[in-house]
Amino acid sequence: MSDSNPKVSLTRREALRGALAGGAALGISGLIAACGGSSSSSSASASSASSSAAPATGKIKVGGALSVGATGGGAKDTIDAHLPTADPDIMRVWNLYEPLAVRPPSFGPLEMMVAESLEPEKGKADSWVATIRQGIEFHNGKTVTPEDVIFSLQRILDPKDPKVGAASIGYIDIKNVKKISANQVRIPLKFANVGFPDDIGQYFNAIVPVGYDPAKPVGTGAFMFESFTPGQQSVFKKFPNYWQTGKPYLDTLTIIDFTDDTARVNALLGGQVGAIDNLPTGQIPQVQGTSGLKVLISQTGEWQPFTMRVDQPPFSDYRVRQAFRLIVNRPQMVEQVLSGQGRVANDMYSPFDPAYDSSLPQRVQDLEQAKSLLKQAGHEGLTVTLVTSPVFQGVVQAAEVFAQQATGAGVKVNLQKVDTGTFYGPNYLKWTFAQDFWATREYLPQVAQGSLPNSPFNECHWAFPGTMDASRFVSLINEARATLDDAKRIEILREAESLEYNYGGYIIPYFSNQIDAYSAKLGGFVEARSGFPLGNYWFKNVYYLA
Amino acid sequence: MATFLLKRLAFGLLTLLLVSIVVFAATQALPGNAAIAILGRNATPARVAALTRQLHLNRPVVAQYTSWLGGVVTGNLGISAATQQPVTQYIGGRLANSGFLVLVSAAVAIPLSILLGVWMAVRRDRPADHTMSVLTLGLAALPEFVIGIALVLLLATNLSHVLPAVSLIPPGEHAWNVPREVILPAATLVLAVTPYISRIMRASMVEVLESDYVTMARLKGLSDRTVIWRHAVPNAIVPAIQVSALQLAYMAGGVVVVEYVFSYPGIGAALVDGVGNRDIPVVQALALIIAAVYVVVNLLADIVTILVTPRLRTAGR
Repeated sequence: MSDSNPKVSLTRREALRGALAGGAALGISGLIAACGGSSSSSSASASSASSSAAPATGKIKVGGALSVGATGGGAKDTIDAHLPTADPDIMRVWNLYEPLAVRPPSFGPLEMMVAESLEPEKGKADSWVATIRQGIEFHNGKTVTPEDVIFSLQRILDPKDPKVGAASIGYIDIKNVKKISANQVRIPLKFANVGFPDDIGQYFNAIVPVGYDPAKPVGTGAFMFESFTPGQQSVFKKFPNYWQTGKPYLDTLTIIDFTDDTARVNALLGGQVGAIDNLPTGQIPQVQGTSGLKVLISQTGEWQPFTMRVDQPPFSDYRVRQAFRLIVNRPQMVEQVLSGQGRVANDMYSPFDPAYDSSLPQRVQDLEQAKSLLKQAGHEGLTVTLVTSPVFQGVVQAAEVFAQQATGAGVKVNLQKVDTGTFYGPNYLKWTFAQDFWATREYLPQVAQGSLPNSPFNECHWAFPGTMDASRFVSLINEARATLDDAKRIEILREAESLEYNYGGYIIPYFSNQIDAYSAKLGGFVEARSGFPLGNYWFKNVYYLA
Repeated sequence: MATFLLKRLAFGLLTLLLVSIVVFAATQALPGNAAIAILGRNATPARVAALTRQLHLNRPVVAQYTSWLGGVVTGNLGISAATQQPVTQYIGGRLANSGFLVLVSAAVAIPLSILLGVWMAVRRDRPADHTMSVLTLGLAALPEFVIGIALVLLLATNLSHVLPAVSLIPPGEHAWNVPREVILPAATLVLAVTPYISRIMRASMVEVLESDYVTMARLKGLSDRTVIWRHAVPNAIVPAIQVSALQLAYMAGGVVVVEYVFSYPGIGAALVDGVGNRDIPVVQALALIIAAVYVVVNLLADIVTILVTPRLRTAGR
């Protein structure tokens, strides 16, 4: 469709020209910087060059209102900065609030948001200093101060009412977080952790003003609150004093809940909304075939593993875990579950981390080897129960495909399909063989979430005391957390990774693509390796084409 | 007739009480609770414990029920666990939207079906009758969501963009102020219920048209119009009234599917969502309202039946 549409090819050519201009500018500024010998001026001019590259296409129209269709939502919708759960909540939080720093859609290095910098104090990773961005304001006109940062951390970590982020930054020594200057906060940790900026740099760890009241939500995001009706829609308007000058382009942003996928797609086809997230794979051809609409496909680091408990029979025998990993026909699973919208994975997560070891051999289906491993473990003709639930798109289908593939190795998989209320009920994080879903993360932050004995979501019970290689894994992670030197840390992490690759409890068949769709009248959407739809839901970057 | 009404009302109230007990017991039997449902993937033990305390979910089951019942008697439907706002406030606007949708659909569907039934009966076994028979039978066989999606394809997305594909009624706005958004869901409901009522009407009309007194009336030389509308229809309409009532009551619950297809902000979506959230006050209130609609509509149908049937009307005297 893009080739037959002259408008699109024009855009592409212009974009190319813009990119060339930007590249030239970069080269020149680099040269100037080299002459001047100042690295800070180089980065400053580089950023101005890249921001001028966009308007060079002459296509941005400032103003206008955009309605976006979000997946799901309902009465439990929230606008609280620290309690996002469902998709529309997450979309709201990305636009109203900002954390100290966050990974951009490209999943490149952390982008500084409310903070100007986030550095280890005195070259050690057990205490960090956050410097607040000069003059950054909340929607109510108040300047962000160290007190606000401290208040936000205390609110997230409130022991009586822990928020979403408590699971990722619980190791902050909250009693000793102190203001050290008019714009700096010292954040000491209970242990050294190089991964701290990533842990705190999550959308749900936003900075809110002292005395924050979710009924009158105030943040530093590009849009400010106008109205919110749970289960229906929320309306935001442009924050004129946003710290990124010139953004946002839109005047009004309306986020609309859609319980039904078909209704969401219909709203886009009928022109009632300008963009939707999570386009079902089955609908890609229809949207691509409709003039005036575009499909946005992003390769992500999102994964939906099968979780085998390493401390429960039959999976407590590592040979059973290995056999199960060899049962999976990954390319077939990508085809059947994701309609091809994904990449084969190798039982390891965090594919964008520099420590990701792509030299480890790709696992392929080997039913003979699987059978022989099961025989060695004394589990020939094994029968297991796999607990599955529609917690994420494709999860139940993946369970069905796995059950079918397992018959090839003489394994009978009984599927126990439960609703999400049951899945997250009293047996949550205790199922012997179940499934889960994860966002794109770097290796250390992901380990903190799911692979340590004290991780909040360790479904495999990996590295639990007494399990195989537990103490080795934990000590490697602790060592890596305290190692600021990148090369040395990567080496340590690779050993930890190889333990999980060889003996871990996850079966990770694939990384799934993120698929969204939007009207061709709009520009500024970028692919998101981060896995957050529509380019991190950053509607501050979105504009109507002039 | 007054004693009959009082008796029926008393039975109606008893039904509602039983419904509330059954629904409450059913929600208790569902695994998980509101705290777990609200937290979803983030349901770590610490957060579940904190939210369970906040929502007072740790009270004994019987105490929860009796305090809810006490509230209902005094007109207080409780606080929604998911939104933390009063249930009346949460469902008020949605109830109005759904009520409007059902009433509009009924106001169109019932007269239309009766006219259609009469029209078919008068043309019995002629091509027009056969064509309509096949059409209505086909429609009756289609589930509502298929009808809804077909209408969307025809009128909103693929073939033309005449009407909105989904009903985006802004919060705080009433459905009757944005009629364009109501047309497709209402049309879906009309197409879903018209076949039943019109086929019943046709069948009973055919029977009446064959009766001796109609032949007599014709022999007397009365005009066709008088025969049909003065003599035949009033005698043929009773089954249609009964089935209309059933369809109306059905719509009160069946509106759920239609609201889903069109993202219509009514009680259907709220009910599905309430069950998912284990939001017992919301589920209880909506189940009670839908049950009350059943009771009231059936009562009304009986009253109308009595009024149009002289034998019954005078029976008490």
